Amino acid sequence: MNRRDFLKYASLTPLAGMIPSVLANNPHNAKILLLVELKGGNDGLNTLIPEHQQAYYDARPKLNLGLKNKNNKLRITKNLELEKGFYLNPYLKELKPVWDQGDMAWIQGVGYPDADRSHFYSIDVWNTADPLVRNTNGWLTKKGLLPSEANTLNGIVIGDDNMGPFAGKNGHAVAMQSPRTFLRQTKYLNRKRYKPQNDSLAHLLSTQNQINSAADLLQTKLHQAPRHSTRFPNSSFGRDLQQVSNLITSGVHLPVFKVTLAGFDTHAGQVDGHNNLLYHLGGGLRAFQKSMTAAGLWDNVLVMTYSEFGRRVAENSSMGTDHGSASAHFVLGGRVNKGIHGKEPSFENLDNGDLIPTVDFRQMYATIAQRWWRRPNPWAREGYKPLHFV
Amino acid sequence: MHRLNLSDTRHLVSRTALGQEWAGVKALEGKTRAEAVSILLHSGKVHTPGIPATAHWSKLDRMRSNNGYGKHNALMQMNRDNKSMKAWMVKHLLSTRTPVNERMTLFWSNHFTSSLDGVEHPRLIYKQNKFLRDNAMGSFAGMLKGIIKDPAMLVYLDANKNIKGKVNENFARELLELFTLGRGHAYKEADIRAAASAFTGWGADLHRGTFKFDASKHENKPVTFLGVRNITNGNQIVDVLLNHHRTAEFIAEKVWREFISDNYHDRRYTQRWAKVFRSSNYSIKVLMLEVLNSDAFWDARYRGNMIKSPIDLVIGTLRILPFAKLPYDDLAHTLELLGQDPLNPPTVKGWAGGKNWINTQTMLVRTSFLNKITRYSGSTNAHLSRRLPKTTGMNVVNWLSPVTPVLPLPTTPGKLRLVRALVLDPTYQLK
Repeated sequence: MNRRDFLKYASLTPLAGMIPSVLANNPHNAKILLLVELKGGNDGLNTLIPEHQQAYYDARPKLNLGLKNKNNKLRITKNLELEKGFYLNPYLKELKPVWDQGDMAWIQGVGYPDADRSHFYSIDVWNTADPLVRNTNGWLTKKGLLPSEANTLNGIVIGDDNMGPFAGKNGHAVAMQSPRTFLRQTKYLNRKRYKPQNDSLAHLLSTQNQINSAADLLQTKLHQAPRHSTRFPNSSFGRDLQQVSNLITSGVHLPVFKVTLAGFDTHAGQVDGHNNLLYHLGGGLRAFQKSMTAAGLWDNVLVMTYSEFGRRVAENSSMGTDHGSASAHFVLGGRVNKGIHGKEPSFENLDNGDLIPTVDFRQMYATIAQRWWRRPNPWAREGYKPLHFV
Repeated sequence: MHRLNLSDTRHLVSRTALGQEWAGVKALEGKTRAEAVSILLHSGKVHTPGIPATAHWSKLDRMRSNNGYGKHNALMQMNRDNKSMKAWMVKHLLSTRTPVNERMTLFWSNHFTSSLDGVEHPRLIYKQNKFLRDNAMGSFAGMLKGIIKDPAMLVYLDANKNIKGKVNENFARELLELFTLGRGHAYKEADIRAAASAFTGWGADLHRGTFKFDASKHENKPVTFLGVRNITNGNQIVDVLLNHHRTAEFIAEKVWREFISDNYHDRRYTQRWAKVFRSSNYSIKVLMLEVLNSDAFWDARYRGNMIKSPIDLVIGTLRILPFAKLPYDDLAHTLELLGQDPLNPPTVKGWAGGKNWINTQTMLVRTSFLNKITRYSGSTNAHLSRRLPKTTGMNVVNWLSPVTPVLPLPTTPGKLRLVRALVLDPTYQLK
C-alpha cells in the first residue's frame, strides 16, 4: 500500500477512539472545500480574458490585455489560450500547468439578478446565499449541508476574520491568524465544564467546548505534523495557504477552509495592482496544488474563488474599473472537470454598463452540495441546479 | 412595600446604564421599585462632546468626483476620519455622566440605523448621533419626524435616488419594516410603493449637510397609504404611521427584547406598554417607567439571561472597575473585533445582539481582553485594591455576578483576586 492509498483508506475508516471526534464527524470522507475570497470585487474580464470579443477592446482601450494591444507589454500571449478565444491573465500563468493537466475549470457570468453594488451588502448576499439578506446565517449552515452536532468543527478561517459563510448557530468554525496564535489564545479560555443555568449560558458553554475541542485537535495533529517540502510564496496570502496546507497534511480534514486575498477594489491604476494580486493568487494556489499532490490529497480538495461582484465592462477615466456585477471564477482540484462552464455573458445587452449574469452564484453552492459533498441540494426548490465543474 | 436589595439594584443598573457602578447600585439599595426607577430615569443634562477634526463633506465629495485617484484619497481620508469618530465615541461612552440616556441613545441608534461605512460622511453621522442623544428620552414621534429628514439617514437609505419617474423603495421599505410597523405586519407592497412615491424628491444636500426637498423631483400625485387616501408627501405618511396601533406595539416589543429577554416576548406586557406609549403621545420616558416598574422586568426568570453586548463588556467593565484603560482607538478596535464596531452597524437592521454576540472568535477576544485588563502586578495591587468598594466579599459577588458563578471562587483572601475570578467566570458575560 503506497502513501496515497493509505491516506485514502485512512480517511474512510473511522478508527474509533483514535481519531478525534471532530475528524470522525466529517461525513464527507475528506472532501475538503477551500474557499478563496477575492475581497473588493475582482475584475473577471481581466482575469479570464475574452480575447475574441471586439467589444472587450472597445470598452477598454487602455486596460485591455488582448493580443492586439501592442502598446501593452503586459498583454496575453498565444500560449495562454485556454479554449475558444479565452485567455488566462499572464500573471496567473503559474496555474496554466494545472489547467493543462485537467484540474482547473472556469465558470463565467457568475452573479445574481439586480446585483447590489455595495461591497458590504453584496458580500452579505454571497455569504448568506440570499439577495435580500433576510438574516445573517451563512450558506454553509443550510440544513443538511454540514454536520450540526454541538461538538463538531466544520471549518477554519485563516488570516482574515470574516466568517460570513459560517455565520449562525450551526456554523461551527473557528477563525485564526495561525494555528499557533490560536493555541496561545485558547490557553486563557476556561476548560472546566459547568451546569448552565439558562440558555445564554448554555450557548457560551457550547462555544467554549467547540474552541477547546478545536484546540485539542490542532495540538495533537500539529505535534505529529509531517515536514513540509513545498515552498510557498513569502506573502501573507502564501503563508495563509501554507497554514491550510499544513493543517490538511497533518490530518485536519475539515469540510471547509477559507482564506482571503484583499485589494481587488481597483478603481484607479488597476493594471499593476491587479497583476500583483493575481501573481500572489496564482503562485500561492500553485504551491498549494503541489503540496496537496505530494501528500496524495489533491483528489480530496476543491478550491473555489469568489468575490462580492465583478467590475464594470468599460474602464473609467483613471485607468481603473468601477463596481460591476457578473464575473468569472475558477475551481481547482483533482476531481475537477476541466473546461469553461456556463454561458458567456452578452457584451451587447448590458445592465447599466454591467454584464448580466448567466450563472447564479447559488448554482456554484448547489454544485458543491450535490456533486462534491453528495448532500441534498438546499437550493433545489428555488430552482438552482448544479453545474458540472466537478 | 418591597425594598430593593443589592442584587435587585445591580439588575436595574446593569440593564439600563453602562455598567453597574458601585455608587449607583448602592444609592438605590433600600428604595422601592418606583423610587429607584424614578431616580434612575431622572438624568442630568445630556451632553454631546464636540466633533473630532474630520474633513468637511463638501471637500470629500469634490475629491470623490474628481477621478479614481481622488476617490482613493477620499477613501483614505475617510478611513482616518472614521477612526477618530470611533475613538471619540469610545471616549464619550467611558466618560459620560448620563449613562442611562446613553444606553437609550445606543438603543435608538440600533433602531434608526446608519453606519459610517454606509453613509461615507462622518460628520453626518455625528449630527445624527447627537440628534438621537438629544431625543433619546423624549418623544418618539418627534424623533421619527426628525429622522426622516436626517441627512445621514437619507443618504444611507438611498433617498437621493428616489425621484420622480424612477422610484427607489429602500427608504420607504425600511421606514415601514424597521422603524414603525415591523416586517409582515399591516402593510402590503403597494403601501411601500405609495410611501416611496410620497417621499420622492426628499434627499440630503451633501454640500451643506442638511435636508433638501427638490420639488422638481417630486411625484406630486395623491396615493393611498394603509387605506388613507390623498397622501402626497412624506410628513403625511409619518402621521398615518403614528396613528397606527402597530407602531407602538413594534417599539414595545423591541424594548422587551432590549431590556427583558431576547428570546420571546410576553404579549400581555408588550400590549399594555404599547397602549400607554401611544396614549402618552409616544413619550419614551413614560414607556420606560412602565417597563422598568413592570413585574416582568423584575421577574427572576429573566435575570441574568442576556448576553452582555461588547459595549456592556468593554465599556461597562472599565467604568466600574479601576483597571487601567487602554487607548481609545485600541478599545474601538476591540469593540470591532467583538462585533460592535462603534457607529458602524453591519446592516440596516443593526446588530442582532443576544446569542449572536458569541461565536468562537468573539469568545476568544472577550476572554483575552478580560485577561489582559485584569492582569496586575504586585506594585499596582495595593493601589487597585484601595479603589475597590469597601465591602464584604459576598457583596462583591452580588455586585458583579448576575447569577451564581459556575467556577469555584478563590479560597485565598484578597479582594482583587476575587474580582479577577468573578470577571473571568463565564457568568460575567451575562447581564
